[in-house]
Amino acid sequence: MNQDVHKLLRLKRYEMPSSDYFERFMDEFHRRQRAELISRPTLSILFERFMNAFPEFHVPRMAYATVAAAAVALSALILFNQQESGASSSGSFALNSPTVTTLPSAQGDVRFPVSLRSDLPPHYVLETRPVSYESPYSF
Amino acid sequence: MAETAQEPEIKDEDLVARTQNGDPRAFDDLVRKYSSRLYGLVYNMTSNHEDTNDLLQDIFAKAYRSIKGFRGKSSFYTWLHTIATNMTINFLKKRSRSYKMSLDDIDNGVQHDPEFIELTSGPDARREVNLKELQVRLNEAMMKLSNEHRAVVTMFDIQGMPHAEIGKILGISEGTVRSRLFYAHRQLQNYLQEFLTT
Repeated sequence: MNQDVHKLLRLKRYEMPSSDYFERFMDEFHRRQRAELISRPTLSILFERFMNAFPEFHVPRMAYATVAAAAVALSALILFNQQESGASSSGSFALNSPTVTTLPSAQGDVRFPVSLRSDLPPHYVLETRPVSYESPYSF
Repeated sequence: MAETAQEPEIKDEDLVARTQNGDPRAFDDLVRKYSSRLYGLVYNMTSNHEDTNDLLQDIFAKAYRSIKGFRGKSSFYTWLHTIATNMTINFLKKRSRSYKMSLDDIDNGVQHDPEFIELTSGPDARREVNLKELQVRLNEAMMKLSNEHRAVVTMFDIQGMPHAEIGKILGISEGTVRSRLFYAHRQLQNYLQEFLTT
């Protein structure tokens, strides 16, 4: 019975496009090749050529995770450095700011400054930094 | 009658080497050589002429882009068929279920095919076969198979490839090819019962 199915299916090889189809196919192939060369980004072509030249080159399995982790670590390091430099610059700013005297307080770190000069507005110090002189982006 | 000297066929390896060295005309020869055969492979898996045309263009474009990486571990024939089969199966996975068949004409040669003659006029002929109806039913039956089974049936039954070659193209064992064929034939037998002799 399978032989009958096989014979029936063999008839499908007679389903073919018209004879000039394959001639036109070649022209269409050349046209698409040219169009692709024009439209593709150079980087994509270079990458593909690299991959074709080194077909054995495969991206290691954990490479993407490693790169992502490295990117996160690098970002954290940059942020940390920025904060450090921000803190030191605000420290130098504090040196230029009017002298303030902090009164001892029972409420831990929060101190209430009192300016010695009465003609200047009071400055509030939080964590030993003069808040009123902070640049807005410090918040 | 003038004798026509037949040009010796250039080997695939030579054409591949020339393409790899930057001669695009050598690849044109490969396209000419394999386009008809690959058309049959893709068409019988998609049952749609327009899809086949687009896919075939993409297949040859991909082969051209990748040919520098072809190291000759398999024959070019196997390598090209592997690209074609993989791309066609990927395409079929994405194609919507509501596609329409777009069938090619049947070559008149079928009228002289012994198997067709046997089917339509032999003593076991069960009914008069309308060619167009048979074509539609065959394509419908094929499309009821899974993509993987259809690939095996196309290569073995329609294109006449040996089991070993099909196994290499699909990356499966000969045993798996045989079992897929067995299962697919059993399914097709049910769909095509009315055209089969008892």
